[in-house]
Amino acid sequence: MDKNNLTPEESFNIINKAIANFKMNYKEGAKTFLLFGWILTLASFSNFIILKILHSKEAYELMGFYSLGNWVVFGIIAFIFLFFMERKTNKDKKVYSHLDGYVKNIWIVAAASFFIAVLICIKLEIAPPPIMLLIAGIATTTSGLLIKFRPLIIGGMSFFIFSIATTFVSNENIALIVGVATICGYLIPGYFLKSAKE
Amino acid sequence: MYQDLDPLIHSQLRLAIISMLVCSKKVEFTHIVEETNAAAGNISIQIKKLKEAGYIKVEKTFKNNYPKTMLSITDKGVKAFELYVNELKKYITPK
Repeated sequence: MDKNNLTPEESFNIINKAIANFKMNYKEGAKTFLLFGWILTLASFSNFIILKILHSKEAYELMGFYSLGNWVVFGIIAFIFLFFMERKTNKDKKVYSHLDGYVKNIWIVAAASFFIAVLICIKLEIAPPPIMLLIAGIATTTSGLLIKFRPLIIGGMSFFIFSIATTFVSNENIALIVGVATICGYLIPGYFLKSAKE
Repeated sequence: MYQDLDPLIHSQLRLAIISMLVCSKKVEFTHIVEETNAAAGNISIQIKKLKEAGYIKVEKTFKNNYPKTMLSITDKGVKAFELYVNELKKYITPK
């Protein structure tokens, strides 16, 4: 195969075919959303249980310590899984698309923002979830817009609503809202992504 | 007939290779072979021509002790592709 006397139509067909075949690998992105979706959902609900138990025992001083410990443990588990997942993906990867790079950069910036937001919240002695959900909303919605995937855009926007909702409820119920937000923002779009045609 | 079109890009295989590279940061050689259904030897010849023109960059590394060739488009290649598409449009929609 190598024809040099192509008609303009044939040339455009070749270009269109190449572009159509080079859409982002949806399933790759789905794995990350599902990983963080499941881990953050489990972390939120276990945090809710911890806060409920400690609340009933009136051990307020322990609440912050156990709550933070719970998030740190689940966070470490998520990043260990992510490290091995990325290593395996990079091993088998044949195409590095620009879109993959943009989405990855958004999440690197989001991860840095999460970390800084937690430090700010600890310093100001305020609950981190409203700000965390807002950052998650920005990163998820932007990722959805970039890959033009509606369930991810809607999931990302749901984070904004849940972010506002957390300001109206008690501390332990915030954990429940974060859990539900993670299901709506990460897990459901993650499963849609997994089943999406590439 | 199509004298304004860059002859280096205006070939079925080279156009397919350049189009793939325009959409991506890096593409492995084996992926291009799979996508184009062309012989690896033929692809190598076309890649050599594009590389010599400065349109693409070829990086050779190793993956599990096997050679891995990664291709990417250069700024010169992007400009040449843009020019090619613009010229092509003139033929599709003549004034």
